[in-house]
Amino acid sequence: MGAQDLLLLAVFLYVAGAVAALIFNNSGRFANCITSLSAFAASLAGIASALLVLTGSGFRLDAPGWIPFTRFTMEVDQLSAFMVLVISFLAAAVSLYSFSYLEEYSRKNPGVLGFLINLFIASMILVVTVGNGFYFLIFWEIMTLVSYFLVIYEQDREALRAGFLYFLVAHAGAVLIMLSFILFFIITGSFDFAVFRTAKLTPVLSSVLFVLAFVGFSAKAGAVPLHFWLPEAHSVAPSNVSSLLSGVMIKTAIYGIIRVCMDFLGAGGWWWGFLVLVVGIISAVLGMVYALTQHDLKRLLAFSSIENIGIILMGVGAGMLGLALNKPLLVGLGLMAGLYHLLNHATFKGLLFLGAGSVIYRAHTRNLEELGGLAKVMPVTAFIFLVGATSIAAIPPLNGFVSKWFIYQSLFTLGMSGGFADKVFMPLFAMLLAMTGALTAMCFVKAYGVTFTGPFRSEHGEKAREAPFPMLLGKAILGLGCVVFGLGAPLIAPRIMSVVASLLNTGAVPVSAALTVFPGDVGQAALSTPLIALLLIGFLVLPLLLLVLYGGAGVGSRLDPTPWACGYKYIPQMTYSSHAFAQPLQIIFRPLYLFSATLKEFGATAGAYFSTRVAYLVQVEDMWEKFIGKPLARGVQGLGRLVQLLQLGNVRLYCTYIIITLVILLAAVRF
Amino acid sequence: MFDARLFLIGFLQALFVLLLAPFFAGLARVLRAKMHSRKGPPLFQYYYDIVKLMKRQEVRPAQATWVFRATPYMIMVSVLLIAALIPMWVLQSPFGVVGDMILVIYLFAMVRFFLAMSGFDSGSGFAQIGVARELALGVLVEPAIMLVLFIIALFAGSTNLGTMSQMIALGKVSYTSPAIWLGMAAFAVASFIETGKLPFDLAEAEQEVQEGPLTEYSGPGLALLKWGIFAKQVVVLSLFLAIFFPFGSAATLGLPGVLGAAVLFFLKLFCLYVIVAVIENSMARLTLFRAPHITWVALGIALLSFVFYLVQI
Repeated sequence: MGAQDLLLLAVFLYVAGAVAALIFNNSGRFANCITSLSAFAASLAGIASALLVLTGSGFRLDAPGWIPFTRFTMEVDQLSAFMVLVISFLAAAVSLYSFSYLEEYSRKNPGVLGFLINLFIASMILVVTVGNGFYFLIFWEIMTLVSYFLVIYEQDREALRAGFLYFLVAHAGAVLIMLSFILFFIITGSFDFAVFRTAKLTPVLSSVLFVLAFVGFSAKAGAVPLHFWLPEAHSVAPSNVSSLLSGVMIKTAIYGIIRVCMDFLGAGGWWWGFLVLVVGIISAVLGMVYALTQHDLKRLLAFSSIENIGIILMGVGAGMLGLALNKPLLVGLGLMAGLYHLLNHATFKGLLFLGAGSVIYRAHTRNLEELGGLAKVMPVTAFIFLVGATSIAAIPPLNGFVSKWFIYQSLFTLGMSGGFADKVFMPLFAMLLAMTGALTAMCFVKAYGVTFTGPFRSEHGEKAREAPFPMLLGKAILGLGCVVFGLGAPLIAPRIMSVVASLLNTGAVPVSAALTVFPGDVGQAALSTPLIALLLIGFLVLPLLLLVLYGGAGVGSRLDPTPWACGYKYIPQMTYSSHAFAQPLQIIFRPLYLFSATLKEFGATAGAYFSTRVAYLVQVEDMWEKFIGKPLARGVQGLGRLVQLLQLGNVRLYCTYIIITLVILLAAVRF
Repeated sequence: MFDARLFLIGFLQALFVLLLAPFFAGLARVLRAKMHSRKGPPLFQYYYDIVKLMKRQEVRPAQATWVFRATPYMIMVSVLLIAALIPMWVLQSPFGVVGDMILVIYLFAMVRFFLAMSGFDSGSGFAQIGVARELALGVLVEPAIMLVLFIIALFAGSTNLGTMSQMIALGKVSYTSPAIWLGMAAFAVASFIETGKLPFDLAEAEQEVQEGPLTEYSGPGLALLKWGIFAKQVVVLSLFLAIFFPFGSAATLGLPGVLGAAVLFFLKLFCLYVIVAVIENSMARLTLFRAPHITWVALGIALLSFVFYLVQI
């Protein structure tokens, strides 16, 4: 089977699985099995198809259209195949995981959930492979709608609120994307991507198209300032869905940005790339600053997705600056770094969300203050979560470090070869990126530490036990990915570079030789993750040798039931809570938070001096939702009320509307 | 680009740091005692301590997992790798093909990350206070180090540590430029914080939080962890010397030259430790929320050096 057949097979399997799951909605576990099996088979087909395209050549599929301007075309080039690979890879792991995880939902319409999940993955695959603007918008909309239903699947107040916010922002973005595609259509007379690419545009027009597309897609990507929906939506969805939402769905928006702003529009103004870079770094810093103060495990992970989207955008922005400055080295390096981080983020964030899912599955809470000590009862889950946390904190030699290293190198190259403004800003961006790095390390020490280590902080933890095998398997695949994509950098970086080179017809920049990777020029820098791993293991000989030489034989070790507590009796409340841990940062970065602490005394006092009961309430709010999200919601609701004035429920009145419309249309045709 | 001799030098540097770390820590302790007009412990006291601790039984809190046990090793190996990356004796990074300054900064982050993980894992409240402080300081220090090194790298045209120190040693990067001097000042403050010496002795503060993350360690684990932390201090100061005072390092890989450079480097470190001891002992511990003020100053100096870099003086 060729790449084309395999891709169609994948889409068919997703859709067939979706329909079958819906049919067997009432048969609980059976529906779950259908969902997971079909998604797993489909994702394998997707991976095979993508690998065939990446090692061979792309394909184009034309279907005769019944509406003249909307021929259905699939256009799979290297970039599309890369995206299909990332989506299918995560989908494979998630579907294995879902075998067990969906049991939580076997009484809550499992067929409907399966239907939505499979349709969701299929729509993502179609979004990144379709070659026609009209169908792109249709699949984009399907993706948004299906994911909306997945977000509100729990049907509680919180989920409905999150869903509304998501719906609103996603559509505000979709309108802008639609506008840019319609503008393309007006200019070229076609919705085909192939025609878009050859459109003759004035600089002003192409800047307008850039702004529309960039703002539209960045709303979906969750870049600051249009990010406030993301933590709400990603934290309330079922965890396997959150993993897909954070791992790959927001990446389809990155795909859109690369496709429209780099592939169609080509080299643009210098400020395009710079704008993308600035949005990237702001998202990275703020995303992490907010993530640190979260006390809900999944919200914390969702905020960190904003940070990572920011880092990916930095790579893309550096690439766009390279296009504008006509520096093929920079284009290759920046975009490669962005795509590499895209792959890596899909891997470790997918993994971390699945880990959070396992915690919820066994401990039934996502509140960090109630978790703790789970490493004793869920050792494998804890270990894999730690691998994910280490990767996302960019600890060498795992994958997060490699792509961040390339981002630093593209900033450095830009600082060396760019204009004065680049020289001014690149060191500052590098500094801010280093700050996010340190914040990420802190945040994930907290995420792992508070959840898995120390004593049990509530009865939730004590009752937990290890997650079932399929869930561990799904996570283990991603954990292995974190290691392989890190150590295998010398093999993977040139592959991604050839994706970039074929997309923009620039020559491939040399990035690897033997065991090392380098940014085009070995003199600038070199990095060798396999050697780092080897040396780290090698150096282990020294401390072990010392231990053997001087260590007393046979003394062994002894367990102390509780940690030392200054002579007092140790109680779990003595350990640091999630709030206490983040408190120094809350004070240092105070201006960035809307921060309110209230101390409530209930009046009952013991003696004259002490309250017996006090409540201390701390709220840390993201100010963006207040200043952008709320006005947006109010505006839309106001508009809705205006439209309601037309809708009176009187059939005769509606007939009048139809007649008036008809008259106007006839008049328009006549004149 | 693969030179076996360079690799050998890298390993020897790692060994140098490993073997001399307790000596330098002991030196700091003796100097401290002298400044207090005390007699102080013998210069080699830490070696005796470590050997003795190695023989002792290890007592671990029951709730600690393998992370707690693995951390001393993790810290030791990452510090040793940094030691092999820094161009201490020759004007090339011995493990230049393995990584650059960005790797070094992230290896320091790795040390911090695992120390913090183990602190959490021990379940001790003291350890966790220390950990939270350590990480909050990291958030303030890492950007300053990155900014200074990035600017020097832009001067040198490479992020390879060897090239950076070479450019300064050969005068290609003008040593008269205020950018370098200010960068040096900022880096000095940042690396001083990174060593955890007195005004910034917040995370492992003995008198305050019972040595923070070290609270629950004992026996061989404590020995290795302490040793690792001493080695980290040596490595941080070596990085400062390697970038800003590379004079006297061997330009070629001949044996006499390298040996001479190694001895010279030892002397440079010795002098730096004396200066550090003087500063350390003339200060009192800062409260945690005062620390940011100092780090903002460091960042401010770094930014100033950056301005001078831009106007190319």
